Amino acid sequence: MRKFASIVAAGLLFSGVAMAKDVKIGVVLPLTGQIAAFGETSKKGLEIAYEKNHTLSNGDNIKLIYVDDRGDKVEAATAVKKLLNKDKVAVILGEVASSNSMAMAPIAEKNKTPMITHASTNPRVTKGKKYVTRACFIDPFQGAVMAKYALDNGMKKAVVVTDAKQDYSVGLSKAFKKAYTAGGGEIVKTVLINSGDKDFNAQVTAIKQANPDIIAFTGYYPEAALLVKQARDMGVKTPFIGADGVGFPELVEIAGKAAEGFMYTDHFNEAAATTPEAKEYVEAYHKKYNKAADSMGALAADAYGMILSAMEKCIKEGKASDDKECINTNLRNTKGYKGITGEITINENGDAVKSAVVNEVKDGKFIYKTTVNP
Amino acid sequence: MDMQIFLQQLINGASLGSMYALIAIGYTMVYGVLRLINFAHGDIMMVGAFLTYFGMESGLSFELAALLGIIGAAIVGILTDRIAYRPLRDAPKISLLITAIGISFFLENLFTVLFGATPKAFKAPEYITKVFHIGEIYLPISVIIIPTITLIILAIVLYILYKTKYGMAIRALAFDIKTVKLMGIDADKIIMIVFMIGSALAAIGGIFYAISYPSIDPLMGVIVGLKAFAAAVLGGIGSVTGAVIGGFILGFTEILVVALFPELGGYKDAFAFFFLILVLLFKPTGIMGQDLERGRF
Repeated sequence: MRKFASIVAAGLLFSGVAMAKDVKIGVVLPLTGQIAAFGETSKKGLEIAYEKNHTLSNGDNIKLIYVDDRGDKVEAATAVKKLLNKDKVAVILGEVASSNSMAMAPIAEKNKTPMITHASTNPRVTKGKKYVTRACFIDPFQGAVMAKYALDNGMKKAVVVTDAKQDYSVGLSKAFKKAYTAGGGEIVKTVLINSGDKDFNAQVTAIKQANPDIIAFTGYYPEAALLVKQARDMGVKTPFIGADGVGFPELVEIAGKAAEGFMYTDHFNEAAATTPEAKEYVEAYHKKYNKAADSMGALAADAYGMILSAMEKCIKEGKASDDKECINTNLRNTKGYKGITGEITINENGDAVKSAVVNEVKDGKFIYKTTVNP
Repeated sequence: MDMQIFLQQLINGASLGSMYALIAIGYTMVYGVLRLINFAHGDIMMVGAFLTYFGMESGLSFELAALLGIIGAAIVGILTDRIAYRPLRDAPKISLLITAIGISFFLENLFTVLFGATPKAFKAPEYITKVFHIGEIYLPISVIIIPTITLIILAIVLYILYKTKYGMAIRALAFDIKTVKLMGIDADKIIMIVFMIGSALAAIGGIFYAISYPSIDPLMGVIVGLKAFAAAVLGGIGSVTGAVIGGFILGFTEILVVALFPELGGYKDAFAFFFLILVLLFKPTGIMGQDLERGRF
């Protein structure tokens, strides 16, 4: 009876038209495959946020539908089609790898369905898209942070390691080079790798010959771990700086002692969590998983929070909570959303403007160094 | 490039080539007796590496865990033959090939479901991974050990093939299965031995691979398996010595391309396969290969 009453009450709230219903959010993540750590950590954060709140003010229930794309572009595109045609989702959340998000974005755009990626940082993901938004900063900013940090620490000669297979890495390398040379640094060599490669001895030799002050690695953690290990094995002592694709426990597990001193830019470090939202999240995360909260999970939770806040605005405007146009407009107009990873404002391109942190591996842990504002 | 770095790359190439060679031997032997390209072979290598990893995780010493990995992989190899290939002995070759692809997917996905797809850190003991340096050359001990063991294994395999009764039976099978059966030889048993040897070698290759690149995942066998297959074709499929030569050539090509043209490092696989095509254009049967329809080792 009480349930019935609450449904009626909710129904009345919402202009008396609709009964409480399920609103579906489709989540596309690499839950298996080479970059599975991205998907697994994102899902963990998302679950914390979901458990905290999955009922809208009009009584509608949020349902998350997970699809695993195995970290593959083609699978990611198929996943979006399935979510749209079969599950009829209102919003799509995902992916992590920019290449995969780029495969998904045109489909969401064509179907006029709002899509929010929590962690894809390549500018082209949202470029020219009206329905694609992101909860993270973009690579030109991240690349500039990397460059500035290296230059501020007196490292004037850099070798850039680019993963030729990943749009993320190609874009980030470009951004880094631009900011680094503009700041007075010199790029002495660019070395190419492929995600999935395991032997980097030849690249390490090339790096060794170039003798740089810093190695700017723009790829993902599986390659970062093996590259830094092989570099240290071959006597290369040059420090590494990476970005948000490397800060995963696997980096330390695989590379071991070789990972010491690896610096990288990231979206979030729990040591820098000062806002009530962040503190609450970190506490819940520790309680549920008994380990440190990482940035992917925090970003996913923020993306989820932004979707919910957009839906609430739609309800206030007297529209249905699953009105795609309305959700999209409100998502794109997000201003000063108090997220776990900081205050998020979406600019005219659909990109989040927010601060970055710089971390460093020390004694096998990710130590917070500094925060850089846009 | 100066001499020292060249030398270092040469040793790296030998080490990488050894792993391809070990896996290529299994491809080539199975092809020799069954005319089957056993696409699941790369995954057997993965099984070997994973079993070793789990052995060490459960507290065994590296040596015991490696032994467990090798025996386990050999058993999995025998089982795939018993369960999937033997019932199809008289079926068209294409059915057998498709079954092999099926087994490959099955093993990859089984391990993904059971143990997750996240790469796991393979912790080899210090005495193998230790790095020493002579002048400018830095070498992990493994790059010396791996080619040495590979050559010893090659000698053993050749001994078995040419000096033992089983070896004679294997070579006879490669010529003509039906006649061999008429001679009262248990062909299925001999084929089982071929799978056992091939899978055990693949497991050794897998363990070496895990020592050199200490991150293992259920899909690690895919590309390595493909390259080892290319090595077997390059050397002349059906020939064990050819497989080893093919493996070393492929290893050297890959390493040297990146060493000479670091800017093209991202395309090293393309170069390796381009080289394969080039050799096959001039010698379609591979380096050591003869007429494909005549069995030999």
